[in-house]
Amino acid sequence: MGGGNIMRSARFRTEREADWKRLEALVAEAETSGIQAMSFASARDLSALYRQATTALAIAREISLDKALLDYLEALTARAYLSVYAPQERVGGVLRRFFAASGPQAIRRSWPFVLVGLSCLGLGALTGYLLYQENAAWYHVFMPSELAGNRGPDSTTESLRSVLYNEDPDKSGLGAFATFLFSHNTRIAIFTFGLGVFLCVPAVLLTFYNGLIVGAFFALHVDRGLGIDLAGWLSIHGVTELSAICIACAGGVQLGSAILFPGQRTRMDALRHAGRDAAKLAIVAACMLLVAAFLEGFARQLVQDLGARLALGWGVGLAWLAWFVLAGRSAR
Amino acid sequence: MIKRRRKSRKRPDAGEIMPPEGVPLKLRIAGVGVRIGAQIADVLITFGGALAIFFLIIALGATNPRNTVAIGALLFFLIRIPYYVVSELIWNGQTLGKRLMKIKVVSHDGGPLTTHALVLRNLMKEAEVFLPATLILTLDDEAPVESLLGLAWIAMALLIPLLNRYRMRLGDMLAGTHVIHLPVPILLKDLAVEAPVGSDGARRFSFLPHQLDHYGAFELQTLEGLLRAGGRNQSPSDYTNQKATVAAIVEKVRRKIGYSDPVSPPDHREFLQAFYNAQRRHLEQRQLFGDRREDKFFATSDEDE
Repeated sequence: MGGGNIMRSARFRTEREADWKRLEALVAEAETSGIQAMSFASARDLSALYRQATTALAIAREISLDKALLDYLEALTARAYLSVYAPQERVGGVLRRFFAASGPQAIRRSWPFVLVGLSCLGLGALTGYLLYQENAAWYHVFMPSELAGNRGPDSTTESLRSVLYNEDPDKSGLGAFATFLFSHNTRIAIFTFGLGVFLCVPAVLLTFYNGLIVGAFFALHVDRGLGIDLAGWLSIHGVTELSAICIACAGGVQLGSAILFPGQRTRMDALRHAGRDAAKLAIVAACMLLVAAFLEGFARQLVQDLGARLALGWGVGLAWLAWFVLAGRSAR
Repeated sequence: MIKRRRKSRKRPDAGEIMPPEGVPLKLRIAGVGVRIGAQIADVLITFGGALAIFFLIIALGATNPRNTVAIGALLFFLIRIPYYVVSELIWNGQTLGKRLMKIKVVSHDGGPLTTHALVLRNLMKEAEVFLPATLILTLDDEAPVESLLGLAWIAMALLIPLLNRYRMRLGDMLAGTHVIHLPVPILLKDLAVEAPVGSDGARRFSFLPHQLDHYGAFELQTLEGLLRAGGRNQSPSDYTNQKATVAAIVEKVRRKIGYSDPVSPPDHREFLQAFYNAQRRHLEQRQLFGDRREDKFFATSDEDE
């Protein structure tokens, strides 16, 4: 008697229960210590038992009405699925792959968008410059008062020069200004990227506006014969920072154009596809902003010589360009 | 046959994921509330970390008081951005907050979570969660336009998850992920094994096939729940309540299936247990022959087709 009297679904369960219990233990082990730390035999058993459990689940759904069994198998299989298909990448490997190959590759792939970003900023700067030449009052229109830091058409040439070359930065509040500028430009970068989804318009406008600020600011100093000094002051970090904004803008525009021109895909699919490169552009921009913040916080106060400032700023810019153009090319 | 075809044309259940093995798994979608809870926990954790480093910097005297706010904000920013990506990468789609709330990120298409998806959904978090949050903190009535824009953005960020079945926020949509409750596997004893067919109860109560044609799977599983609940330890008042319920159910079942022999109160549980076994065996047998009975209305719903 015994086994013969148990109903089919109960027999089904008693035959497999030991395997399920073992799978449960393996899943618990994989979840606490990670699959990498498991022995070969355990990892092999985990995937084999997981596949058995999916089969058992499919059968149980057909033959069993035991709610407890069905619930248990559902939960167990789902847990096992989640640990079998867990991402198997280490953080170090991800970072190396990004910086050595996929980051610069993404930049190269999306060079038209980077060009759009650059031209937005360039046109903005040109417009700002020309408008200031026409009427100095435009300066107050573009420039947010917090960013100007009391520098405007009304301030004297001497005071302008003293901000550019300052031996004792903490007394002038330049330290605070630096951290503020960092957060201001970071915010601009985040906005240009995130808002690009809305049909590119906000990304393009914001970058253009940022260009206007730079242009007007530059024109003010050119007006006082401080053009080259400002170029030095700005370029030490600005080369990196403004390129970062352009790249963030490129990412945003890429997302927006995926929505505007999805091609053969659906808009959602196109957005997802564009997101692959756009996210990498955003990360590159974030790294550049970080470097720019350090340059701004430390190098600008330490390096007071005009030539050295220009050399450092553009040298770092060249290094970025070399990374974008040269890194991650296949040996072929 | 017709019924089955109509079912397959329906949209798949929201809580279902199709792994590469081709057996759909039910994974309950996590609601907005529990996700906000996890988010708050994460913010507290990262904020705590930033605060600790901040105090360390102040203690070392490496800064002057004027810059402290900016440096604090910077630290919070620098800690929280890698925190989400790295923790979800290491713990397979769970930050500490998500571990606390027992929820988890899964890939929408049933494949493994990719690094790209995790990075993307957490970068979008910056624009979606933290931007509105800082906007709320900095709202002032001097700039009404900005405040209104901020409020509109907040409303949108909160509404998007409520408007789709998977409770995806914008970052989830881009990355192709959603968030689920982690299922807990608990194996309860098999009721049918506890009192197998050959036992005493089965010999005393026997049911004819036509008596088992009244109920479907739903009623069977409800009965299973009742029998399991009765087995646990309970207080005296619960016990008497349970007894009354069981008596009422026994009466109902007897009348419905036309079981004429009276069942004395001490035998009530045994009767239901025997009925459960017989009904389950019957229904499972019918199911094997393609006659799936969801509930007691199976006969009428078949005629509708």
